[in-house]
This record gives sequence, C-alpha cells and structure tokens, in this order.
Amino acid sequence: MDPMTFSIIRHRLFRIVDEAVITLKHVSGSAITNEGHDLMVSLYRADGSLLMGGVGFLHHLTSAAEACKSIIRRFAGRIREGDVFLLNDPYTAALHTSDIYLVAPIHFDGRLVAWSACFVHVYDIGAMNPGGFSPQSTDIYTEGFSSPGIKIVDQGEIVQDVIDTMLNMVRSPEMVMLDLRSMIACNNVARERMQALIAKYGAETVDAAGSELIRQSEMLLRARLQELPDGQWQSRQYLDVNGETATVRLTMTKSGDRLVFDFTGSSEQSRHAINCTKWASLGGLFAPLFPLLCYDITWNEGVIRPVEMIAPEGSIVNCTRPAPVSVATVAAIQSVNNAACATIGKMLAASDRYREQATSVWHANHFAIFKFGRNQKGGFSIGILTETFAGAGGARSFGDGVDIGGEIPNPISRMANVETVEGSFPIRYLFRRRMKDSGGPGRWRGGTGGELAVVPHKAPDGGIHYVISGKGARHPMSDGLAGGFPGAPNRYAWAKAQDAQPDAGEPVSWGVFPLMGEDALYVRWNGGGGFGDPLEREPGRVADDVTRGVVSTEAAEAIYGVALGADGTADVAATEALRAGRTRQRSAGRSTP
Amino acid sequence: MSAATSFSPTLVLREGTSGRRIACRACGHDLAAADASWKEHAVLDEQPLGAAGGSVFRTDGDVLLRRFYCPSCGTTLDAETALPGEPFLVDRVMG
Repeated sequence: MDPMTFSIIRHRLFRIVDEAVITLKHVSGSAITNEGHDLMVSLYRADGSLLMGGVGFLHHLTSAAEACKSIIRRFAGRIREGDVFLLNDPYTAALHTSDIYLVAPIHFDGRLVAWSACFVHVYDIGAMNPGGFSPQSTDIYTEGFSSPGIKIVDQGEIVQDVIDTMLNMVRSPEMVMLDLRSMIACNNVARERMQALIAKYGAETVDAAGSELIRQSEMLLRARLQELPDGQWQSRQYLDVNGETATVRLTMTKSGDRLVFDFTGSSEQSRHAINCTKWASLGGLFAPLFPLLCYDITWNEGVIRPVEMIAPEGSIVNCTRPAPVSVATVAAIQSVNNAACATIGKMLAASDRYREQATSVWHANHFAIFKFGRNQKGGFSIGILTETFAGAGGARSFGDGVDIGGEIPNPISRMANVETVEGSFPIRYLFRRRMKDSGGPGRWRGGTGGELAVVPHKAPDGGIHYVISGKGARHPMSDGLAGGFPGAPNRYAWAKAQDAQPDAGEPVSWGVFPLMGEDALYVRWNGGGGFGDPLEREPGRVADDVTRGVVSTEAAEAIYGVALGADGTADVAATEALRAGRTRQRSAGRSTP
Repeated sequence: MSAATSFSPTLVLREGTSGRRIACRACGHDLAAADASWKEHAVLDEQPLGAAGGSVFRTDGDVLLRRFYCPSCGTTLDAETALPGEPFLVDRVMG
C-alpha cells in the first residue's frame, strides 16, 4: 500500500472515533457522560481485535475487544447488518454492570468487515443502590441487570420487548433509554463513516491498512521495550473498605521486548464490591500503558501482544462469580491502574533516555458518590459527583503535576460545572477549591486535589440521599517517585452545614447516607504523587506555592525545609542552614520532620 | 570502576571488581550488589504518614511513610508507603 493512502486511512480511523464520541456526548443527557466524559468509543476488526482505541476511559479498550469476541462466539451465524448487541456482564467482559457495552457489527456489501463498540455509565442499572455503584451488594445478583450478550437492535429495528424488559428493572428508565439511544447513535455514526471509508478505498485496502497499523504498533512497542532496561519493579496499593484493607500487589518484569504484570500475592476476593474480573484487570493495566509507553503509537491489538498478565483466580484482581464487582472501576481496577502506573513510571525513570516520560501516580483514588432523590422540579434525579473526574496530576522529572489536573486512564475526564449540578439537584455548593498541601511533596510537587462541601437547597423532601463507595481515606494511593511523597489521601465527612470544614464531621465511606436538613457532605480528593526529594525543591517555588495557597507555611518549613521571610519570599541563608541540618540528621540515622 | 549506568533517578549501577554494584547517584556511595536489596543498606526513616506529611495526611489508618536516605550524603533515594510489617518494595535493574 502506498504510504499516502495508508496515512489517510489511519487518520480517517482516528476521526471516525472522534466523531462517534461527539455524537455520544451530544445525544446523552447524563452529566457523567457529557461532562464527566465517563465514556469510550473504539473500532475493532472483524474478529473483534482492537483496531483503533479511542479516548475516554482507557480501561475499556481491551475489555470491549473481549465483548466483541464474546458476541461473535455467542451469536455465530446470527450477526446481521444493522444489529446492535448489549453486553454488561462483568464475568463475560464488562467492568461492572452499569458500564454497558453496545457492540455493533459493520458490514459492507453484505460482509462483516469491522465492529464498533462504546460504553457509557448508564443512569441506573437496577442494583440495590441507585446509580450502579452498589456498596451494599454482597454478590453479583444484587448488582442489577446483567447480560452476557443480547440483541437490542435487529437489522436496524429496535427490539422493543427486550429493551422494555431491561427498562422495567431500572430507576429513571427514560434516562437509561436516552443513554442507550446515545450509544446506538454513536455506533450508527461509526458504521456510516466506516462504510464511507470503505466505499472510497475498498474493503481490502482498509483492512490491509488496519493490519499494517497493528503490525506497526507491535513493532514500535517492542522496539521501545528493547530500548528500556531489563528489570523488575514492584508496587502495592492498599484499598480500605468499610474498615477492612485489601492489597493489590504487582511485580512487573521487563525482559527484552516483553512485559509481564504479575499480581501474585494480591488479596483474596472481598465480600465487598471492590473486586474485579480478569478482563477488568487487563483493562486496568493497559490504561496507563497506552499513554505512558504508546504516546506516539496507535493503540490497537499490536500493543497488546507483547504484554502478559498473571492474575491469580479467586483474588481481588480476578474474582470468581458471584463475587460483587459494582465498585470495581473505582476500586480494584483503579488500583491495578495505579500499580501499573507506578511500575511503568519506575521503569521509565530507570532509563536516561526515557526519564522525562516517567510520572508519579496521578489522581489514584476515585470516589463514587451518587446523589439521588426528588429534585426541585419534582422529578427524580440520580447522578455522580463528577469532581471524582477532576483528578490531580502526578509530578514528573522536570515539572510539577497539574493542580486538579485530570487522570491517566481518561485523558478527557473533567468535572461538571457547579451550576450544572445545582440545576439538576436540590443542593448548593458551599465551596469547591484546590486542597492545600494535598499535592505529594517532592523536588517536583504533585498536583493538588480539591475539596468541596454541599448542602440541601430547596429540596421538596427536605434533602436527598447519597450512595458513597469511598475508599482511600485511610491510605494514600497516588504514589510518589524517586523519593517523592504520595499525594494526600481522601476524606469524606458527614457534617453540619455551619461547620463543613476540612477537619469537621463524622467520617463516612461506605453505604447510603442522608443529606437532609442541616446536613453537609464534605469531600476531599487526593493529590498527585511527588517526584524527588522535597529538600531539593527550589525555595522560590515553595514560596510561590505558599503565596498561591497550595502549600501551607507549616509544610514549607517542615517538609520542604524552606524558611520564609516576613514578606513571604524564601530566606535563602536560613533555608540552606535548615536543609543542611536536616541532611546531617538523615545521615546520622535520625528521623526528620 | 567503570562508567555508571542508570538504576533510578537517584541510584546508578557500577561495574566493579566484585561485580555490579548499586551506588548513590549524588555522591557515589556504594550501597549493595546489583542483585541485593539496596534498601537494607540505606538509612531507613519510617514514620506514621501523618507525622511525615502534615495534617492533610493524617488518617485513622496506621500507614507508614518510609524514606530511604544515602548513609553518606543524606539524599533521599526512594520512598514508599507501607503498613507495619510489610516487606520493602524491591526493584531490580538487570541492564
């Protein structure tokens, strides 16, 4: 194939995914989709292998490939042009029941030539707790509607009885239907654009370009791995849930042009819904691998081939049915993601050539807080606090992490406007701001997380309730790198409106709680990990952080060893003396502040 | 000693008469054989995370922040969080 045609087809594939994402956002009515960007669209080859990974939550790229393959197996001989299949069973391929995959075959001249797949976190899935995250579930049977594969559009016609059956099981069925329609529209756009591409260049040419893209990606990743040092790196993640602690342990081995992620030693599967299945773990480790190792390589099947995962069956990272998994995406999957981010970061940092690509762990701890109840317009609302997507950047070898700077596994995640939330729910924000001292200290500081407090406002029932699947309040999860501190942990507190301040209130983390009357909900989310020794941070940067309110004067002195003058600037002589004393203490084996 | 190769941003590998060794990148202090746990030979500073990181790091958990310093120059070589009794995280670079 001539290089020009190949390049055009490659870019058209990118654009097809982009346009399908835009369609998904425009049709969906959920803030979690069109503001939080909790979504994903990708293209797959006729055999279900990943052809073009899209943006959104990257955990889904490999899982949706398995969803395509599962549909191919289950519906062999019954896959027709215009069909759309729904799959959301975590033990088949999905991450949790509320992240629904709609998988659609793409035909040309009557022949199956490709697949498109997308997901959104639907408004509700009928689990025992509203919103999909169901912390009170103790098995998959109470986590809502779950299908290993069902046809919801048959040759272009919606299978209404099937959809009605599903909608009969969920809260706010009209919103769930809108979610389904947004995904059907998304797949329609992907199909039409793919058919137009094939009509112009021919099915064989487009398929050959896809095959070549995959070959190139595999070759490029293997070449990159060859340039990195062989070695073995470890990380671990503590997951606190309802007073218990589970651990995800990872040893990553890089040898030649291969990477092995071994989760041996991780905790046994939990009775709480923090577990994840093997497909979810695979997605979790690829979420940081795609952007950190393949930032200039097309994300497709070729990237998957050099990578192996070992996940012991019956563990928190490869649970067996009927273990509950509804919180997986913010629990075990995210911990797998964090652990992989940490080991990949260490591997990159070990290379003089690739050190600048290394990063400390970004925003490592989602909090899933779903508000639900009667709204100020008399209707019923369910929705996540999208601040969980706001994130915090990890520090790198050359710069600070970005304050409230997003997250690695979703390059387009963001939080909704306060006004959007207040317009949909009978609540008011008391504040939403950067959290002082939350960025992991280091020569380069982790980006800050944030804090917020909300109270009921003009609620017809006196307030609402919320489902919280909060973890990360006992252990920090955004690991630092090269001596950098982790980002500060999360905090969730049930306070009274008049004292909704950082240290007030009763900690809450797991279950359903009221936001009624004088109640307030205080949430603090984690910062990114730091990079390097805090005593090596330029004093002027610390002084600037204090001036901007992202580092306290106490931390400036105690952690960074910076003495500030009366005018707020760094006192260079006093700082040098302070740091020299700390360094002597270290060499002498005494603890330093 | 031959030229150093990278082990991490704070450590290097050197080929010596007794084989490959891990040394402090800042001062060259020899720590351990390349296949040994260099952390055993660093100065360990282990504190409750809340004490090391300030008030926003205080939790009701008993998580520790471990910092590993060069015994010679006091540079921080690495840091990790751990529950009491956890083994050190072990990283190895084979070259």
